[in-house]
Amino acid sequence: MMSGQLGCPLILYKMGEIMNASVASRQESDRHEQKSWLKTLFARPEIGPVGVMLLLFGMLGYFSIPAGEFSLNPFAGEGFNALGIRNNLRVISQLTIIALGAGLLIIAGEFDLSIGSMIGFAGACMAMILRWGFSIIVPYLSFEGGLHIEFFTLIHIPDVSPLGAIGITLCFTLFFGWLQGFIVVKSGLPSFIVTLGGLFFLRGLTEVSLRSFNHRADQVKGATTVTEIPDLKNIINLPGHGEIEREAAKALPEADLLALMKDVPADEIASIAERLAYTYERVADAKTDIIIAKGVKPLERALENAIESGNEFMVTTIQDKIANFSIAPVVPKTVTDADVARAYIDSISSARPVADFFGGDILQPLFDWLYFPIDWNTNNFGNQFASGLYSCVMISLILCMVCYVMLSKTQAGNWIYSTGGNITAAKANGVPTNKVKVSLFIFSAFCATIFAACQVFEVNTADAAKGNLKELEAIAAAVIGGIVMTGGFGTVVGIVVGAFIFGLAKEAFFYIPGIDGSFYRVFLGLVIIASALLNENIRKRIMGTI
Amino acid sequence: MAKSPKQPLIETKDLVKKFGSFTALNGVSLKVYPGEVHALLGDNGAGKSTLIKLLSGVFAPTSGSISVEGKAVSFASPRNASDVGIGTVYQDLALNPLASVTRNFFLGRELTHFGGPFGLMKMNEMHRIAADEMAKIGINIADPEQAVGTMSGGQRQTLAIARAIYFGAKVLILDEPTSALGQRQQMEVLKTIRRVQKLGNIAIILITHNEIHARLIADRFTFLSLGEVIGSGTSEDLKGDDIKRLMAGGAEIGDLAKELAV
Repeated sequence: MMSGQLGCPLILYKMGEIMNASVASRQESDRHEQKSWLKTLFARPEIGPVGVMLLLFGMLGYFSIPAGEFSLNPFAGEGFNALGIRNNLRVISQLTIIALGAGLLIIAGEFDLSIGSMIGFAGACMAMILRWGFSIIVPYLSFEGGLHIEFFTLIHIPDVSPLGAIGITLCFTLFFGWLQGFIVVKSGLPSFIVTLGGLFFLRGLTEVSLRSFNHRADQVKGATTVTEIPDLKNIINLPGHGEIEREAAKALPEADLLALMKDVPADEIASIAERLAYTYERVADAKTDIIIAKGVKPLERALENAIESGNEFMVTTIQDKIANFSIAPVVPKTVTDADVARAYIDSISSARPVADFFGGDILQPLFDWLYFPIDWNTNNFGNQFASGLYSCVMISLILCMVCYVMLSKTQAGNWIYSTGGNITAAKANGVPTNKVKVSLFIFSAFCATIFAACQVFEVNTADAAKGNLKELEAIAAAVIGGIVMTGGFGTVVGIVVGAFIFGLAKEAFFYIPGIDGSFYRVFLGLVIIASALLNENIRKRIMGTI
Repeated sequence: MAKSPKQPLIETKDLVKKFGSFTALNGVSLKVYPGEVHALLGDNGAGKSTLIKLLSGVFAPTSGSISVEGKAVSFASPRNASDVGIGTVYQDLALNPLASVTRNFFLGRELTHFGGPFGLMKMNEMHRIAADEMAKIGINIADPEQAVGTMSGGQRQTLAIARAIYFGAKVLILDEPTSALGQRQQMEVLKTIRRVQKLGNIAIILITHNEIHARLIADRFTFLSLGEVIGSGTSEDLKGDDIKRLMAGGAEIGDLAKELAV
């Protein structure tokens, strides 16, 4: 009855309004109030996740500031110093790469649970090709000396370039992606089941292949880890020495190093020498500080004891000693020509641009500049902290931009949304929904392969266990970023935000004092459920069911 | 209201459709003229759905012919039917409720800057066209970015009809457009149909259960029962209980009353 009482004046008011404005002039669309830009901003599905992301950003920044120090600058702590940024962005970018593949597929209404296994498979495939070359081997039954399987090598290419290795791997992974998509659209089976099969199949295939083929000719059984791949991204073309690994080049005899510098312009040598002098100075300063700290430490302990025992004379004496403690400052090393030559070798760009593209660093000039002359990118020993950002940051950025344009600006994007939103409507309007789905399964496999390429070329090893559970992380990032599980709704910006939240949470909880690091999982679990509820709410609001 | 008809826009002759041993349609002939609303009435199972599926190219007829503007046509797929100008607005409207008005209007036929699915969409032009086309048949949408799910049933119907007309439908097949709508929305849809009717060059086939709606808007009627035409005529020819009787499959109202009085 409450509502009746409250409603009465309202109805009278409404009636008056209706009498003034004719009923016919009111349109259905008039019921949609024009929103202000602020309201529009807060109605966007990404707003909640962006809030969580900023919270985590602040948490990571401030909790990682060492105890006892105070700073308003979140970049002062370990979380966002040069090395922190380098490492955090790497985790986030790698997750973004696979979350894009998983997310776009979910928008089209399907799942891919095989991403993690695909990463393991692609990594192992690429690493084996780089390590042992590429062979086509035909197994056959042999009856000589009892029935057993023999292998006949049809083709063997011993030396495959990084691009070749990636290309061959893509042939396999994209085929698997296509196959999974094909089975899903032709059979109508849930993609959950088909790709669950893919998850086990690919992981098993990776392990079996590694054990069968990943060994020397004189060994019988292979290992599930591929090691001893040359550091491809650090192979350089050194005049007079041909292609050589950077470390080997730096270890050349001094005469060779000096000979090398003859062709280098004088101003470049001067700038390298200036930088080295700066580095040596910084290192010497840091050393001096460390020695002083070491020398003061026993005195401080003695001071504590003296205070405890109440010996005031001792206290003042030791305090005096601490205040006047000094040593002769460490003398910076002198910059030798060989040092300059080695620094010059560091600055030569890679002779394997593809390997460098996937596994190398980017933005080195910026990080150099932050060290010299800015003096921010400096570690405790006075050396440059981070050499740059991992290349996967750039790759994920490229992928993000491509996906963003495709999803929100192109016809293909509209097809993806409609395939997930209402597949019968999409079909009735001539959208090739099967092609859309299969293409996105292939794209998901592509993203997994790119992820694997970044890992393999960065660390020069591969493991059959790589990528374990990554498919779930990718889906989690997509959900956190506002992708609706039933399809048809979500954005690339959301996926990126989801990946940021996932990556930041892991680091931020590590720094919270007195808390178990695994709490980040508890937190993420809650965030996932909260996000899913929020997404469902948005979906229902749009569908008009609430 | 019906103009003196010269040539039917779409004509069917003795359409027969059999599913195995079951005869869904047994020789249906139909003439629909431009600028006319042709109501197709009948009880459940009368063959209305089968007929529209034949007309829209979902099924191929077992025998008989369909001609559009005097030319015989045959459809291998719904695409062929829409190519010759038969646009079907199904009950579910084929809309994606999560996407915007514009994205739905151009779904599958987006305007792009360069060909191919990866061409950028001409979003502004698409917004403009979608709003204009819907305004033509009576609905001004405030925001073409509005999600279709937030629109009323009548507005959705209008969107689907406007889309069909914009993409070249000369024959518009409306499958029970007023069912599952509130009273006000039903009137809105009928108004929309009337506006399309007034455009004068479009033939409308209206499938409905609702006698009142048919009487309000239709120029011509065809009654189906058990796969056959049991009666047809213009709105002037049919009076009073004729329509009720034919809708009930030919039974006299008196018989119905008797049946009810058990």
